[in-house]
Amino acid sequence: MTEFLPVALQLLTDPGTLALACLATFLGIVLGALPGISSTMTLAVLLPFSFSMSPGVGMVFLIGAFYGSVYGGSVSAILLNIPGTPGSMVTQLDGYPLARRGEAGKALTYALLASTFGGIVGLTALVVFAPTLARAAFAFQSPEYAVLMIFGLSMLAYASPGSTFLGILAGVLGLLLGTVGLDMITNLSRFDFGVSHLQAGINLIPFAVGIFGFAEILRLLEQPIVVEKAATRIGSVWPKFTEVIRTWATAVRSAIAGVIVGIIPAAGSAIAVSMSYAQEKKLYEKTEKFGNGNPRGIVAAETGNNAAVGAALIPLLTLGIPGDTMTAVLVGALLIHGLQPGPKLFTDHPDFVAAIYLALALTILLTFLLALPLMRIFARLLSAPPRFLYVGVLVLCVTGSFAVQNALFDVLLMIFFGGAGYFMLKLGIPTSPIMFGLVLGPLLEENLRRTLIVYGDWAVFFQRPVTIGMLAVTAVVLMLPLVDIARHRFWPSPVARHD
Amino acid sequence: MKSILAGIAFFGLGFFALLGNGLAQDYPSRPITLVVPWPAGGGSDILMRLIAETARKELGQPVVVVNQPGSGGSLALREVADSEPDGYTMSMIATGFIAEQYGNPNAPTLDDYRVIALVGTDPAVIAAGGKTGISTLDELIAAAKAQPGALRNANDQPGGTSYVAASLMENVLGIDLTLVPYAGSAPVVQAIVVGEVQTATPSVTDLIAQHESGEVKILAVAGAERHFKAVDIPTFTELGYPLVTGTVRALVLPADTPDEVFDVLEAGIMKALNDETFRETAKASGFSINPLGGSEAEAFLEQMDESMYPVLQEAGLVKVRQK
Repeated sequence: MTEFLPVALQLLTDPGTLALACLATFLGIVLGALPGISSTMTLAVLLPFSFSMSPGVGMVFLIGAFYGSVYGGSVSAILLNIPGTPGSMVTQLDGYPLARRGEAGKALTYALLASTFGGIVGLTALVVFAPTLARAAFAFQSPEYAVLMIFGLSMLAYASPGSTFLGILAGVLGLLLGTVGLDMITNLSRFDFGVSHLQAGINLIPFAVGIFGFAEILRLLEQPIVVEKAATRIGSVWPKFTEVIRTWATAVRSAIAGVIVGIIPAAGSAIAVSMSYAQEKKLYEKTEKFGNGNPRGIVAAETGNNAAVGAALIPLLTLGIPGDTMTAVLVGALLIHGLQPGPKLFTDHPDFVAAIYLALALTILLTFLLALPLMRIFARLLSAPPRFLYVGVLVLCVTGSFAVQNALFDVLLMIFFGGAGYFMLKLGIPTSPIMFGLVLGPLLEENLRRTLIVYGDWAVFFQRPVTIGMLAVTAVVLMLPLVDIARHRFWPSPVARHD
Repeated sequence: MKSILAGIAFFGLGFFALLGNGLAQDYPSRPITLVVPWPAGGGSDILMRLIAETARKELGQPVVVVNQPGSGGSLALREVADSEPDGYTMSMIATGFIAEQYGNPNAPTLDDYRVIALVGTDPAVIAAGGKTGISTLDELIAAAKAQPGALRNANDQPGGTSYVAASLMENVLGIDLTLVPYAGSAPVVQAIVVGEVQTATPSVTDLIAQHESGEVKILAVAGAERHFKAVDIPTFTELGYPLVTGTVRALVLPADTPDEVFDVLEAGIMKALNDETFRETAKASGFSINPLGGSEAEAFLEQMDESMYPVLQEAGLVKVRQK
């Protein structure tokens, strides 16, 4: 591979290509930051432009837009509580509260640092371990997917602030919402109440925009509008070095989680971020609060999200199986240039593979450099007078929900969930577990039922090493609180309990 | 002052442009919308964007792709069927549309449309996993007949392209497979490579890389002729089992579209589909382009409807209307 690096380097040092890479990254950040325009849509829209470019330049262009949009998604999540892309849904849980406290700049910097670190880890995984890790993806079949989702759901209770009971209640609501629409296995429509649009199921974006973004505007409108000087400051953009260093372990763990989920074909970034966030929340539940501006929450989500980018390219390049919908678009781009992604790409076009590696490295660097000045501009938006800001956010809520599928129904859905989210806020029911249920539930059901079709027996879950391992970990996670209770009861500690 | 005048002139022109819309002889006088009932970035979406780009040159107006996914495509297709038949809103239908007609109460039927053109058929294949040791279609038939239902087949949701292909193959080969639904082609490829299933029925492009590396063996292609990406693989017909099936894509307009508008659009689209550059780009991406104009395309789809109906009936997918 190394002998091809000079060729690839030559391509990337060409001023025209560099300018194009900058443009693509910039477009990616901006489009990604717009709610409703996901990374997949950004790529689909920019794809035709790459047809006329040479294969290498085309890939630099698309990878630039792809990676840029993954970071861009976190901007609107942090500033407006509206996820720009599904992968940034978890970023806002801690990012938005931090921005509300007047530390928007800091939140954006954490996101940028975390995503850059995640990007680098993902890239390293891609370059160093691609062939080995690709085989590991094959250990994942329907039973393993099903158990992975069970594991994710066991984390659900920890993923919510406050009462575990209310968290589980909200999670079950999410699971129920996930059953709406056409069932994958039988193609029957469930819980559509005769509304034809509900056959398509509840789309994640209008749901998240409503329950987080719109509900937040409703809550803000309760208070008389006064321009709070403190809350509209951008705040220092750079967090203290020691504060950043404090989150290193989180970053490493989340990057690993991101890489693992990224490699598993078709798992998707929403799962990667859900997993890494829930994992950190569980680990630090005794000492730190999440959901009210904890930088660790931002770091967990963004590192996981961006580590998944490089990792998702692994099954694509080595096996020809796209890791998520974004890389599925990249398959289209490769094919048009006569490059068939798959086992033979490495032997037939090693120079091209080297160019992809370098393009991703270049993009990570460009995103970092471009985001630094852009961040200040983005953050300044928050200091607009509330009467303009709220209206602007509402407009984004509506257009963002509409843009996902060009359907007015999704706007109504967003408003419905906005109202529901507002009442849940009032009642103290956490809203984030609903999202976890909605993401994980349909995948659990589909894979569980497929497992039973293929293997015909529940016993299969206890006969495969990976499923046994994951079930054991799940059991431990669920038992821990009980052990805690037992310990307090039988061996009361001299120290008062935290809660 | 100047700018105000310019503004008035601009709006005046816009007004007359709007008036012009009603006149069929000026068609097309504004951008045409191509509704793709699938998400952005999928195979059909990429192909439609290519067609839109080429058709723009032929029609002299932009063709704007709008993605309206949901409910197996039926939502958007119903909307297009009920839209103003002025030639400014067209849509795309694919194999799954045939099944939706009988299974989904909201879905439009073929009678609700005028077919502009058939774009082509991406043939389905039947492939066996490398670990099965099956390397010809006859070996597969023998293995399946030895233990009916023991071989599993990865495909998509009931009524989907791959599901229908698998069912048609079961009938023509006289075998019995256990059909396992997967969401999309990527999980199907993974399932057959690791051996969760022994057979799969996706399209040529989905599996050709794995076929070349020996991880799976494509046994036969359900095309009218051999596929340009897999010239060494025989067709079902060559092997004595006449079967042509796969992803059929066609462009449609509402049923009441007047002839003068329809003819202009049909001519423009057919020119675009026969454009050299377009065909080369589409071919490079693995799309089979075999254009058929309006009436021929309509006959083709009716024929397809005929052959799929018994399969759908057998699978219990004929629920809301009968043939």
